[in-house]
Amino acid sequence: MRLPAQVDRVTPDASAVPAVASRAAERRRAIVAFCCRECAYAAADASANARTPLPPTVRLVLLPCTGRVSPLHLLEALAGDADGVMVAGCLEGQCHYREGNFNALDRVLFVQRVLASVGVEPERVRMFTMSAGEPPRFAAAVREMDRAVAALPPLSRS
Amino acid sequence: MRAGVFLCQCGGNISGVLELDDLAAQARALDGVVSVAIEQFLCGTQGHDLIARAVEDRGLDHLVVAACSPRFQGPTFERIARDLRLGENAVSFANVREGCSFIHRDEPVLAQEKAARIVRAAVARAHRQADLPRARTFLHRTALVVGGGIAGMTAAEELAGAGIEVHLVERSPSLGGYMARLAKTFPTEDCAMCSLAPRLTTTALEPHVHVHALTEVDAISGPPGEFRVTLRHEARHVTEACVSCGECESVCPVSYANDFDFGVASRHAIGRPFANAVPAAFHIDRGGWSPCKSACALHTSAQGYVALVAAGRFDEAYRVAAAPNPFPSVCGRVCTRLCEAACARGDVDEPLAIAALKRFVADEVGATQTPTPAPVVHEERVAVVGGGPAGLTAARDLAELGYATTVFEAQPVAGGMLRTGIPDYRLPHATVQREVEQVLARGVELRLGQRAGVDFTVDELFAQGYGAVYLATGLPRSAEVDLPGVELRGVQRAVELLREINLGRPVSVGARMVVIGGGDVALDAARSAIRLQVAAGREPDVTLVYRRTMVEMPANAGELAEARDEGLKVELLVAPVAIEGAAGAVAGVTLARCALGAPDESGRREPLPIEDSRFTLAADGVIFAVGQAMVADFLTGCEGVRVENDQILVARDTGMTDRPGVFAGGDAAATGYLTVVEAIAAGRRAAAAIHNHLRGETLLPVWPDQQAMAQPGDERLAAVVGKRRVPQALADGAARRGDWREVAAGYTAEQAVAEAGRCLACAGCADCGSCVRACPSGAVDLDERPWTEEITVGAVIVATGHQEFDARRKPALGFGRLRNVVTQSQLARLLAAAGPTAGEVTRPSDGAPARRIFMLQCVGSRDCQSSGNEHCSAVCCLFATLHASLLKQHYPDAEITIAYTDMRTPGKSHEEYYRLVQSRGVRYVRGRIGELVEEPDERLRVRFEDTVTAAKYEELFDLVVLSAGLEASDGTRQIAQVAGLQTGAAGFIKEYHPKLAPVDTQRTGMFVCGTAQGPKNIPDSIAQAKAAAARAVAMLSSGFVLTPAQVASSDTTVCIGCGVCVSSCPQSAVALSGGVAHAVVDANICRGCGICAADCPSGAMQLGGFSDAEILAEVTV
Repeated sequence: MRLPAQVDRVTPDASAVPAVASRAAERRRAIVAFCCRECAYAAADASANARTPLPPTVRLVLLPCTGRVSPLHLLEALAGDADGVMVAGCLEGQCHYREGNFNALDRVLFVQRVLASVGVEPERVRMFTMSAGEPPRFAAAVREMDRAVAALPPLSRS
Repeated sequence: MRAGVFLCQCGGNISGVLELDDLAAQARALDGVVSVAIEQFLCGTQGHDLIARAVEDRGLDHLVVAACSPRFQGPTFERIARDLRLGENAVSFANVREGCSFIHRDEPVLAQEKAARIVRAAVARAHRQADLPRARTFLHRTALVVGGGIAGMTAAEELAGAGIEVHLVERSPSLGGYMARLAKTFPTEDCAMCSLAPRLTTTALEPHVHVHALTEVDAISGPPGEFRVTLRHEARHVTEACVSCGECESVCPVSYANDFDFGVASRHAIGRPFANAVPAAFHIDRGGWSPCKSACALHTSAQGYVALVAAGRFDEAYRVAAAPNPFPSVCGRVCTRLCEAACARGDVDEPLAIAALKRFVADEVGATQTPTPAPVVHEERVAVVGGGPAGLTAARDLAELGYATTVFEAQPVAGGMLRTGIPDYRLPHATVQREVEQVLARGVELRLGQRAGVDFTVDELFAQGYGAVYLATGLPRSAEVDLPGVELRGVQRAVELLREINLGRPVSVGARMVVIGGGDVALDAARSAIRLQVAAGREPDVTLVYRRTMVEMPANAGELAEARDEGLKVELLVAPVAIEGAAGAVAGVTLARCALGAPDESGRREPLPIEDSRFTLAADGVIFAVGQAMVADFLTGCEGVRVENDQILVARDTGMTDRPGVFAGGDAAATGYLTVVEAIAAGRRAAAAIHNHLRGETLLPVWPDQQAMAQPGDERLAAVVGKRRVPQALADGAARRGDWREVAAGYTAEQAVAEAGRCLACAGCADCGSCVRACPSGAVDLDERPWTEEITVGAVIVATGHQEFDARRKPALGFGRLRNVVTQSQLARLLAAAGPTAGEVTRPSDGAPARRIFMLQCVGSRDCQSSGNEHCSAVCCLFATLHASLLKQHYPDAEITIAYTDMRTPGKSHEEYYRLVQSRGVRYVRGRIGELVEEPDERLRVRFEDTVTAAKYEELFDLVVLSAGLEASDGTRQIAQVAGLQTGAAGFIKEYHPKLAPVDTQRTGMFVCGTAQGPKNIPDSIAQAKAAAARAVAMLSSGFVLTPAQVASSDTTVCIGCGVCVSSCPQSAVALSGGVAHAVVDANICRGCGICAADCPSGAMQLGGFSDAEILAEVTV
């Protein structure tokens, strides 16, 4: 088994929800979240069923497994109007398709290097892992991504 | 596209946050949308009706559902779409509830924007969605269970209970598996066989279970539900007529270590693994032909007669030796013994003296045989030209086939080279005469002094009414020699000289003889010359000159040693240049010394004369023994037969010449070496070919079907205690050269039995035929061959079990080397009440009581070295505890120490059992062995440490028992290859998911259970077997199965055949195929993860329902 070099682990932090009033003044951000159906999307559903509020900047895309995500998808999302792209999958060693999340991590790291090489902040693309039984981790990941991308200057496109 | 967008209010969950009218208006404006509707509960019956009406009225081909998460009601809407004939992949989801309304309640404006975007994305995706193909397979309500141990039988019974026909396949002769070999089981100390026996009976009686023992699965192909399986049934060699009386076993002369007992006891070649075996019939363990049988030109069952000699059954031994060979006394003396060269014992110490044993029984028993004429049943007569071994053997076989046969021999005595070529001291004339007469006694007419082409012709034979003629005229003269001086007086040819000697005619040789040549004939001539010189009152002076070295010399090395004992001088690496004369007689031989160069066309290194190395040996006589040649008189009056290079031309498969009805063999038409046994084999083939020819059909095989060679494995060879061959008595060399008495004395009965006892029984059954004769039911069939069968099953369950770690991989522990080091499995056989020792445990080295016993845990398990396995084998702690408990109960004064790494006793009652056994006085020490050494009395001195107290011990033990771990069995590795299943460490079958799918494999329809999946105890194996059966029943109950829609597929017009997908797939579901390679996905294995699609550099590989187009449409809207 390949061990991941770096995967973002985010712990839940309820205080991280920004106040509503300040959001209205913010520049519109768009973040695309590729979520695997087994863990991340399930955690997302569970978090939503608990009515946990989340920043409305993040739009979910359902995939069977994060292994389906290719660098093409990540780069096209950024080339569209996403300011950030997150990939959310199962915990290491627990991918329901055996090892798709390791493949996804490889590609995320690859895209980060590509971005860095053309002068774009690599942290616009990040991978998070969680289990279906950890909705707070999903929420925390979304907030963390939103916070990090908000801190970045706008992405220039031509 | 004609899409309908359906917005669900979800009873306020969605409509309470989002303005659906606004979303509807935006949706209507989207390209491809022809219908938009809002419904309160889209998932309910009214929602269903709404969708159905819209599809009908508006001609929709796609549905866009803006409602809850697709993980929630997705399957509902997909089923609606299929029911409405919209096909697969016709629904697109806009998750505006969990994805929007639930989580943005406090931000309705932004939520509305986001929801509109989500709907737009779903519509964009719908544009890219295409129908997906699904193949339908009919499910056969049959299952294959591979492996007949406790897990396999349990699974079979569960399946049968659900009304599914089961083919239960087991490679060994009986069901039962490992459990049948155990003594008792923990923690209840129930007798293993007692628990197993009822299961064996119920499996045998269950009408829905078809038991195939001695069967292998050779191939599995096809989709789940319709697996096509090839079963190969090995030959049992015992038919259903067997009533298990055991008569056969009591007469089987072969005995070797029994695999079932892990080698602690022996078995006969025929037998049954245990008393209540299922099926109950006996079985012959026939591994093929032994090396000796394979090497012999006649394929004599040498192992058979050797085994019978070892058992003191000389009459039966003779019958086996003489069955293919009418000249066993002859061959026992002069054969080239390729059997001995092939003998596996030769890899240990010395090959068996197979020929000497044959000579012993032939002399002892053969001499008393008085054959009677075989009845003549055919009207055709056969003429054999040549009364040597080839001709006489053909005549005997033909007489036994019922033909009146006449042998025409040119010499005044029959026997060919046996009689006129080989001298008395090596092969007594009386011996040859006796065996010739035994052939004639079968009804063969002999006419001496009849030379073909002179006294009669072959054409005349046919005119006289003979139906076939066999030319076995041999090579009865010396080859031509071209050397200066060959015409001098005193130059003789070996073949002719030996003939004169053997016919008792007066001959003379000089006082200083040189014999040129290196074969058996040269040695015969040289030793005969020595005897002639001694008879003339002289000191023997004979020098053998040979142009190569001992290595290339064809003569028998033993013969050469005997000759040297008799005074023969030998000059090697010398080639004759000329024979020197004086007054017309031989005066000397000029020789040149040689060095060996590159191999010539015979394959032997060519001797090249060295410059200026010539010297002359003084001599007054020279004998040439440099080859034999044909006497072609028989060609006169023999129309249609052709000779080339001194060989009669024949068709190889029949031995027939160009003239129909005329056959040839032996030295005159050689198909192998020019030896006695080859000639006899040629005679046998000729008889079969002539019989086929005269009867007009192929009734007998001319060339017998060669079977695979069986050889003992390395572990069997390593276990052999070295013991050299019993030597034959030889008279002193100086004494025996004075006359022609036989030099080799042969074996006495005691010597023969002792020598025969060295046989390793390479092939198991040695084809002696004793069981065939002993069986009162006529149930033994030695000719049975394996056969194959094709079956179709819906599901496969693999239950092929485990085997014990081979403790010889830990050489420091002495297993396989020290006799008193055994494994727990071997101890189980000793402890078993129905085992080979009826439960008595003694030291293997001497049978003395074993009272101080040391058990070492974790042998080969929890081992990070490459010689062991990393895993914990799960059962060894309790296995040792169980055996310690049984030993203590049996022998209360026994002192048992168990050296452990950890005591792992999970599971119900196991910890309690461990505590109980401790209380019985078994000593548990946490530590491993530092050193294990054998004492002179074969007790074992063990140094070990108690790491809890840090105390060190050095103690003597009678017996050391290694708790060797569990690994996947050979059968497990084999079926994994055949079925295409993945295996993990130590060869265990990889389950599909270690937590969530422990009995599924990566192949749909194939399941695994028991120790084939990993180490576990009996109740866990049974539980997994029931689980696997339940999975199979669930799958087979639906009648038919559709391949999933969400599988990968490759566009062959785009695929570049790079193969990245093949290596990316964790299920090995992709392969490259076709002349121009392209990727092909097996939809029955693919799990739909999409890794291959993401890796594909050309975009050819796409995942059904998640193509790049669909994903990007949704992402970039």
